[in-house]
Amino acid sequence: MAIKLSRRQFLAALAATGLSLRMPALMAASGEKAIARPIPSSGEPLPVIGMGTWRTFNVGGDQQLVQERTGVLKRFFELGGTLVDSSPMYGSADEVMGEALDTLNAHDRVFAANKVWTRDGNATREQDRASRRKWGIDRFDLQQVHNLLAWESHLETLKQMKADGDIRYLGISTSHGRRHRDLATIMEQEPLDFVQLTYNVLDREAEQRLLPLAKERGIAVIVNRPFQGGGLFRRYQSEPLPGWAEEAGCSTWAEFFLKFIVSHPAVTCAIPATTRVEHMEENMGALYGRLPDDEQRRQMADYVAGL
Amino acid sequence: MIDGDWLSYSLSDFLMFGPEVFLRLFVRINQDFWPWQGIALVLLLVVAGLLVRGDTLAKRGVLLLLAAAWVGSGAGFLMEYYGPINTPAIWFGWAFILQAALLTVAALVWPWDKTTAGLARRWQAGIGWLVMAALLPLLVVVQSGNWHALALFGITPDVTVAASVPCLLLLPRRVRWLFLLLPLLWSLFSAATLWTLGTRLMFVLPAATLVLTIACFRFSPRPGKSQD
Repeated sequence: MAIKLSRRQFLAALAATGLSLRMPALMAASGEKAIARPIPSSGEPLPVIGMGTWRTFNVGGDQQLVQERTGVLKRFFELGGTLVDSSPMYGSADEVMGEALDTLNAHDRVFAANKVWTRDGNATREQDRASRRKWGIDRFDLQQVHNLLAWESHLETLKQMKADGDIRYLGISTSHGRRHRDLATIMEQEPLDFVQLTYNVLDREAEQRLLPLAKERGIAVIVNRPFQGGGLFRRYQSEPLPGWAEEAGCSTWAEFFLKFIVSHPAVTCAIPATTRVEHMEENMGALYGRLPDDEQRRQMADYVAGL
Repeated sequence: MIDGDWLSYSLSDFLMFGPEVFLRLFVRINQDFWPWQGIALVLLLVVAGLLVRGDTLAKRGVLLLLAAAWVGSGAGFLMEYYGPINTPAIWFGWAFILQAALLTVAALVWPWDKTTAGLARRWQAGIGWLVMAALLPLLVVVQSGNWHALALFGITPDVTVAASVPCLLLLPRRVRWLFLLLPLLWSLFSAATLWTLGTRLMFVLPAATLVLTIACFRFSPRPGKSQD
């Protein structure tokens, strides 16, 4: 049935659509459902946009910046986010996260993901305990071996910790496209719940082997460096979005980059990091609306490559 | 990390903070230290005065004041402010305290000869040093656009190291190298950090200090006259 709209009605509808596309807060408030993907090993749904803390939450004892980061985390939760990822490697990020969770009284809202990062293969539980103390939580939902460091012994302990109920999920992380061959071998042989890797519209090596393997083995995928550490914005922000971006569900470059990632069927969640509330709002736009289909994903990659 | 994997890393992979957090360290230490910045300014004037005086007692005094400056910037800025966001800063903090101990030993027990440079050269040294130590703190101010980020001698490491290196020429060459090792290492570390952070104006300071330090390994001022 064709619906006839007056010019005024058409413009009002267009404005409302455009507004809602740009304001995830409105979408969250209006009850629109956030896009979520099930964790393959349990079926538990996870919002497709999480939050990383690399560089952004390492602010030491700077109370002004701690407050600002708390504001960023608050907005993240308000807009429907749950998964926050950190590491003992990130300086004071764990302590700052703990302070922010305390301030927001949000310990039960966070899907807490952390990492074990030590060459001492016997220090898994000790480091997990230290990080939990900093976060102020009883257990991490997800504990990962950071950058495959001493992964054999850490992974054995994590398996035991999961069996004991000390963590809910276990995983292994890498970044910057390093050690993909080793990661693939581990994914083939070990009972992982999660892997974390770098994947974005320019760094697409994971599409060849790791993402299909994760899908095949039922392993959830967390994607780090979705903006290449800010490099994608520096490179493309001055360029216009393609005319068809709205059709692919993208009204900002942040949504464009993030929706490209989370629309891959093997990806569970992307974890952009930011220091600014307005950037968090832009990022969380990718948690709502439609996702690009396969053809649109190809168009997105071609468009960026052609700029 | 497997062999060859190191090649895929860049300096930025090891930096866990951004320029905003780093520049805020200077603002924070000045806020917390206020109003005692006057002590650092007095320190500058006294060191300059001692360089002008130039006798054995003055040389001992310069080294003792340098020791105080290294303790101040090491135990304060490096260990309390910078360390929580960058672990190597804590190690450098301890090294700064060790350097201060060395300077104290040199000041108190070194058998100084009684030679002294001519008056004109001592005035040049004192005034030149004062101008340098007073202007260098402005680099952080210009970089950050914030007057509260003034990086004072005795409080922040880059200025302390830069201003200390020329004073180390007071030491005989055969022992001076021992005192130049830490300035060399710190300047390398700091230059690499500031380059990676993209704070190019601030980068100039450790880079210049590095060149100066290397020169000081080789250079010796002309011998002065005996005080006797």
